[in-house]
Amino acid sequence: MKIICLIKFVPNMEDFKYDYERNVLIRDKMNQILNPEDACAVAFALSVKKVEPSTEIEVVCMGPQNTIPKLEDLLRLNVNQATLISDPAFAGSDTYATSKVLARYLEQKPYDLILTGTHTLDGDTSHVPAQVAQWLKLPHLSNIIRIQNDNIDSGRLELSVDHEDKIMTYALSLPAVLSLQKDCPYKLPYVRYEDLNKKVSDRLHVVNCLDLGLSRDEVGFDGSKTKVIKTFVKPMTRQDKLEVFNDETGIQVVYDFLKEKGYLS
Amino acid sequence: MKKILLYLEGNRAQELSLLGACERMVEHQDHRITAVGIKDTLPSGNSLYDEIIQIDDSIKAYDTLQLCELLEQLHLKHSYDIILFPASPLGRILAPRLAIVLHTGLVADVTDIVVNGDVIEMVRPAYSGKLMAQIISTSKGPLMMTVRSGVFTSKSTMLKETQYTSFNSVTQGSKISLLETHDKPSSKDIRDSKVLISGGGGVLEHFDRLHELAFVLNAQVSASRRVVDSGVVQRKIQVGQSGKTVSPKLYIALGISGSVQHIEGLKNVETIIAVNTNKHAPICSLATIVVEGDAVAFIEKLLNKIKITV
Ligand SMILES: Cc1cc2nc3c(=O)[nH]c(=O)nc-3n(C[C@H](O)[C@H](O)[C@H](O)COP(=O)(O)OP(=O)(O)OC[C@H]3O[C@@H](n4cnc5c(N)ncnc54)[C@H](O)[C@@H]3O)c2cc1C
Ligand SMILES: Nc1ncnc2c1ncn2[C@@H]1O[C@H](COP(=O)(O)O)[C@@H](O)[C@H]1O
Repeated sequence: MKIICLIKFVPNMEDFKYDYERNVLIRDKMNQILNPEDACAVAFALSVKKVEPSTEIEVVCMGPQNTIPKLEDLLRLNVNQATLISDPAFAGSDTYATSKVLARYLEQKPYDLILTGTHTLDGDTSHVPAQVAQWLKLPHLSNIIRIQNDNIDSGRLELSVDHEDKIMTYALSLPAVLSLQKDCPYKLPYVRYEDLNKKVSDRLHVVNCLDLGLSRDEVGFDGSKTKVIKTFVKPMTRQDKLEVFNDETGIQVVYDFLKEKGYLS
Repeated sequence: MKKILLYLEGNRAQELSLLGACERMVEHQDHRITAVGIKDTLPSGNSLYDEIIQIDDSIKAYDTLQLCELLEQLHLKHSYDIILFPASPLGRILAPRLAIVLHTGLVADVTDIVVNGDVIEMVRPAYSGKLMAQIISTSKGPLMMTVRSGVFTSKSTMLKETQYTSFNSVTQGSKISLLETHDKPSSKDIRDSKVLISGGGGVLEHFDRLHELAFVLNAQVSASRRVVDSGVVQRKIQVGQSGKTVSPKLYIALGISGSVQHIEGLKNVETIIAVNTNKHAPICSLATIVVEGDAVAFIEKLLNKIKITV
């Protein structure tokens, strides 16, 4: 069984800093953390390996070189291999270009299962897993809260999905892309004290644009299909505020609002 | 003429939001709106759409691999200019697939649309809603986005003579099957509720009436510290600095002043409706709708309205 986890490091939203004058995010003041749902995915993979020690786990991250120490920490947790897909040419990639790069790497690898988070804290599109699945023509489910972890080697999985007010249980045949949601019970352990400085760099590989056989205009800003033209913080005061009296008209306004937004069925 | 395709899942609020988004983009242009979805989830008879395309229900809504193939064929046949999906759990994993096969951009969770000449700019939250981004599509393919329900509203009421067609294609066997469906156990924690009916000093004497409104809105009841301290309700439903932090989509504040300590407990609330005898109470400056008047009378009138109309 070979499991590949797609992971991303994201700014910690707790220390969100914004330059209101220049209207930009102050990224270097923000600590990078493993996207919480991606941590669930790695934790689930480790739980499979615990049951079936022959399981091989690889984490794959597309991002800048400064994530290497964080990837090394995952290698100290019984992850077999870490791959960093990194190239200055990748800067500015939207989900179309990101998924293309990830899929290009994955199509050259053997795997039975690809695990991801449902969405990230920064981009928060939840596009990447579905798009990777499409490039690779694989089935995909997201918002997964539980995967049955015994008998995975049979090539058929049972899992539960959080579908707003319902929980659905599906059966699915591998290979597939599965996206976990943060409400799942899989938690990543801490690195053991004696492993803190363990040498792991021989299990970390860095891959660039050329290695993947991609040309520069297929990735980054040029390879993207969308462009962010501006970012701003939400205005604190509301311009669309409605003031009404507690009379027939006022009640109608509230009623129409509730109806329109689907609060009254 | 602009050709628009909407993917529907049988949810009325979603539909209105998608239609509202269309109106923003093509209001003054010649256009044709087509809705597509799995057979049972679509309207019947005359509708707000020019055309409805029914997909045979042998294809399951959760099989996004098969659905994507079908939608690709549909686009190859009709070349749509704009394709919209609901930002629902399944819409959010189906739309990205289609964007790949059509080699076009996709913007997720659009909350606002700005039309700037020929360019359509889409606004969406990022960084857990802390930041808004304004995005354009740079590809030649159709403009694609997912839209949350309740974000836009449709003004159109004119029913059209809808043309019905079915669209099926041979797809390979499914790799996914549904085994069972459970209703989620309903939680009594105010933090899990999408709608909160919250009462404060202004409704202290009639706090029980809040439950009637909560019942019809499928909501839970919460309170300010005034009400908790006076012993009318338990501390576990208190919102605020010394209570719980809540993120409902809708917060109806009845007779609550909105002290700093209370507001501290409101995070990422989409809409606040404040009912207060004093329209200058601090909570009113955060509200989308302010109703000036007695909160108990408000409950009564709104309940009447709902009962008559439903
Ligand atoms: C350390 C500390 C922690 C605190 N933590 C919290 C906390 O976690 N949560 C919390 O809520 N508070 C907290 N408080 C208390 C907070 O400061 C306020 O005292 C409290 O929130 C006031 O509650 P209220 O707005 O419901 O009541 P009031 O201040 O009495 O306001 C009542 C409101 O109702 C309106 N009103 C009156 N009659 C009517 C009517 N018939 N119809 C409609 N409107 C009417 C009034 O105009 C007014 O706006 C804390 C205070 C401290 C010092
Ligand atoms: N740059 C990346 N490298 C590896 N995995 C990624 C990357 N971006 C997104 N993912 C995966 O896709 C999921 C959803 O991300 P997003 O589409 O950005 O919301 C994440 O939880 C990751 O598992």
